[in-house]
Amino acid sequence: MKMLLHFAVKAKSAWGKTLMALAMLAMPILAQAQAAPDVVKPPAGFDPSSWDWVFICYLVLSVLVILVIARAFDIGSLTEKLTGKKVIKWNLTNAWVALIAMVAGGIGVWYEMVYHGKYVLLGNAFSLHGATLDSMIWWTLGFTFVVFVITECLLFWFMFRYRYREGKKAHYYYHNNTLEMIWTIVPAVVLTFLVLRGFNTWSKITNDIPADSEEIEVYAYQFGWKARYAGEDKKFGQHSFTFTSGKNPLGLAVDEYVDSLSAELKNEISQFDTLIKYAPDSAKVWKAALADLEGKQNITAYPVVYKELKEKACDAASGAYVRKLEKERDRKKTTLQRIAEYRSNKDVFNNSANDDRITTEIVLVKNKPYVFKFRARDVIHSAYMPEFRAQMNCVPGMATQFAFTPTHTTEEARQIKGNKEFEYYLYCNKICGAAHYNMKIKITVVDSEARKKVWLESQAKVVPAKTAAPATDDKGEKNTKDSAAKSPTVALN
Amino acid sequence: MSTAALHAEHEGHHHHKESFISKYVFSMDHKMISKQFLITGIIMGIIGMGMSLLFRLQLAWPDEQFGILEMLLGKWAVDGKLDPNFYMGLVTIHGTIMVFYVLTAGLSGTFSNLLIPLQVGARDMASPFLNMLSYWFFFLSSVVLLVSVGVETGPASAGWTVYPPLSALEKAMPGSGLGMTLWLVAIVLFIVSALLGGINYISTVLNMRTKGMSMNRMPLTIWAFFFTAVLGLLSFPVLLGAGLFLIFDRSFGTSFYLSDIYLEGVGALENIGGSPVLYQHLFWFLGHPEVYIILMPALGITSEVISTNARKPIFGYTAMVISLMGISFLSFIVWGHHMFITGMNPFLGSVFMILTLIIAVPSAVKVFNYLTTLWKGNLRFTPAMLFSIGLVSFFISGGVTGIWLGNAAIDIQLHDSYFVVAHFHLVMGSSAIFGMFAGIYHWFPRMYGRMLNNVLGYFHFWITFICAYLVFFPMHFMGLAGVPRRYYMFTLVKDFDVWMDVNKLITIAAIIGGAAQLLFLYNFFYSIFRGKKSEQNPWQSNSLEWSAPVKHIHGNWPGEIPTVYRGPYEYSRPDREEDFFPQYIPDEGQETGTGAPSKTPAPEHKEVAEENAGHSVFFAAIRRVFGLS
Repeated sequence: MKMLLHFAVKAKSAWGKTLMALAMLAMPILAQAQAAPDVVKPPAGFDPSSWDWVFICYLVLSVLVILVIARAFDIGSLTEKLTGKKVIKWNLTNAWVALIAMVAGGIGVWYEMVYHGKYVLLGNAFSLHGATLDSMIWWTLGFTFVVFVITECLLFWFMFRYRYREGKKAHYYYHNNTLEMIWTIVPAVVLTFLVLRGFNTWSKITNDIPADSEEIEVYAYQFGWKARYAGEDKKFGQHSFTFTSGKNPLGLAVDEYVDSLSAELKNEISQFDTLIKYAPDSAKVWKAALADLEGKQNITAYPVVYKELKEKACDAASGAYVRKLEKERDRKKTTLQRIAEYRSNKDVFNNSANDDRITTEIVLVKNKPYVFKFRARDVIHSAYMPEFRAQMNCVPGMATQFAFTPTHTTEEARQIKGNKEFEYYLYCNKICGAAHYNMKIKITVVDSEARKKVWLESQAKVVPAKTAAPATDDKGEKNTKDSAAKSPTVALN
Repeated sequence: MSTAALHAEHEGHHHHKESFISKYVFSMDHKMISKQFLITGIIMGIIGMGMSLLFRLQLAWPDEQFGILEMLLGKWAVDGKLDPNFYMGLVTIHGTIMVFYVLTAGLSGTFSNLLIPLQVGARDMASPFLNMLSYWFFFLSSVVLLVSVGVETGPASAGWTVYPPLSALEKAMPGSGLGMTLWLVAIVLFIVSALLGGINYISTVLNMRTKGMSMNRMPLTIWAFFFTAVLGLLSFPVLLGAGLFLIFDRSFGTSFYLSDIYLEGVGALENIGGSPVLYQHLFWFLGHPEVYIILMPALGITSEVISTNARKPIFGYTAMVISLMGISFLSFIVWGHHMFITGMNPFLGSVFMILTLIIAVPSAVKVFNYLTTLWKGNLRFTPAMLFSIGLVSFFISGGVTGIWLGNAAIDIQLHDSYFVVAHFHLVMGSSAIFGMFAGIYHWFPRMYGRMLNNVLGYFHFWITFICAYLVFFPMHFMGLAGVPRRYYMFTLVKDFDVWMDVNKLITIAAIIGGAAQLLFLYNFFYSIFRGKKSEQNPWQSNSLEWSAPVKHIHGNWPGEIPTVYRGPYEYSRPDREEDFFPQYIPDEGQETGTGAPSKTPAPEHKEVAEENAGHSVFFAAIRRVFGLS
């Protein structure tokens, strides 16, 4: 601070004076900033030998180097002015740099293709439609790469070849319809080819769904995935977002869970009613507490408590507190009412959800067609399975689906990839909140239906056997087994 | 006050003394407003770039603790590690700033304001007052956006596209609280600014051209700004609508975009019947033209700069105009390619795929025409020329990947992966920013009456160019390996470990590229005050703006506005000694000054025009319809 001031006083130019004035203005602010304990807190473990200082030094050093270079060239141009001779022919230099950039760029592209190209998934599609999608990519890559290389090379070659030469005059050439027609029609033809191929591929992927596909519901929420397999009745139970509760995360139409949710909601509503009834009293209490706190000398010692209390007291005084409570209560009432409307509907509450199985991983059988039915609970998510060339958004309030057939088991994929720890994952690929980067579910592909069955039966049913509805009573024996075997995963491979 | 009266007044007293406020702050002079846009744009650009460096640091060294981050960001980087919520906020605000504040207002606002009156030969914009308002709405909007970064719950963090429900529900993420409200306010202000500017640009171009400046003699910059303004005028109101619906959903309990939502810790919401996909349709109805709103001014600037510095007429002027027109039209009917996998009807996906790939044709024509303009030219590598060529290079490498992503089938695999990040940063981000740099280097003498240092410009160009490729080219490979974008860190997925070295490379290249911008800043601010004094026409250019006095005056030209006698790209005409032939110099034997504008094009032009009329019915028809000749 003082150094800055010193410098400013010494400076005689207008800039120096401005700087000084600014520094004087900033003084009180800075002084206050240093006085307040919370404003500038030194970071934890902030010691001069730490990496951060090295980093700052690097930063300062690079800025200095840049400035030195800048000054050097200033001096260079001064020399040119004094001697009248060009030290560096910049036009020629730039032309050569362009040529070097072209060659280096070509090497760079080649290096990338060899070095990082081996990590790309192309040519390693592990689903039936994936191969056609890959071939689409190969065709597009072929065309675009040729265009890319030719045009970029021409661009840089022209930079070098047609650089400025004293006394030369450019070729006065402003129009040629034939040429322009050629480069309108040729891309149009190539694109027509790509469009038709793309159209076929896209239609095949989205429309050709085998009739015997097994449906699996994939359910997205902040921040995770759940899968639901239909039970013995081969039917998915009905669902509604209004049924969702801690015990019933997927909002399935299960008598027991929905009834307990209703009871819970009723309870909450009566609690809200009580709070609203006693709101004037709460307001008084908060006001008194606030006055009490303000009466004390060291209010600043409890900044958080003070702030909260003040907000509460303000809200209570303005009526915002009651309005908020009423709004919450009304929302719960709406949910309760909606549940009641569904509750009497036997098409919804038909007990078919009871034997569904909700799982925390997905197991598929090789070469069997599947349709993933997507559902999202809160915000938009996207189910992305790059190895299967599959992706579809999960939109709250809208059903989406994606059909595909896995062609390689996890074990086979591991061998092909040469990675013993490889697993298929379904990632979230649409920004959905803080833990978006860690929202994934494992997919395991096994080679036989039997293996999948063993795994599936080890997963708990939505309603464990002992409380199963009468509809599944004839399979009671099996249900007992299900509830007994609650181990999360059995060895699959 | 009518514009005519205003002009009369300007001509009356050029040298009357203005107060500081009316000259530098609430200026109604288009040249001053353009400088205001430029400097605000540069400041926003620095902030946007700084943000990208912060999150690049996180991506490259997710486990490292940077004490400096805690010093800078406080609670958002406890122990020197970026908070995931703030990471999302940075990504969002970086996108918003770059797309709207730098590349829309900073680029189009600066150069439309500077060049439209000067290049068509007008005293000022059609409405200088609206023009001033346009800047101040933009300024206000910038301030609101920057303030939103500092609010307690953090800035808007749902990505720059702010898809609801994530952006609509306060409880869905911290950034969707006050930060999101301020984001929406900022965008509404921004749209007002864009509309005020757009109306002005269009009416100035259509009504205020000088004598002889027929539409087919306008520089391609003006064509580009004109189409840009039309696009903005037609598409920004749709975003305004989308934003208003979002405000209603957030604050007044409507359900335009919300349906069937259960939030953890809150319970089931009341909203039913809305559709989040509706927002995406509305957003991308602006969002896609927005890409061209960003890109077209850059392409216009490039056309002008390349032609001037290649000392050659731009190849295929008419084709350039038609392709701009085609791009403008098509850009309105391709928005669905951002939504192939949102659960839209697959048939609709096919339609959008076909339309999207058509747009590649006019883009290809532009690239080939640029190449032919360079062919057999006499290329002077001014920094502006280098940046223009850099733009063409980025436009090619980013453009070809558009053919990948426009294909619905391929998009299944590449949607929202790093491939997309690579694609749009090259074709729209780097291209447009290079166009902006080209414009700054080229017209700096016109703006400030001084020259920028060329040598610093060369270093600035080559470092930035190489770093931009180092940053964005490897991202294609990450995308093809299925690495999703907008991930806070990749260390939680074992398969992505192989990309950690690439992440480091990208971050280091980004830091070096960012540091190179210091060269530019130094050059820019130093040259404003200390740069070499500019000549009247430093680049020996043809267009009209170089005939105005170096020192700015109100009303642009003392006395009469020059008359235009020919197109702007008459470089290296074989019948002329000099390699340029300004628009405002009459042919030999032609009367100067007053008198009817010459309707006769240069002799070669006329022959070609007749020849074309013979075998190109299409071009002839277009010309007739749009009065091009």
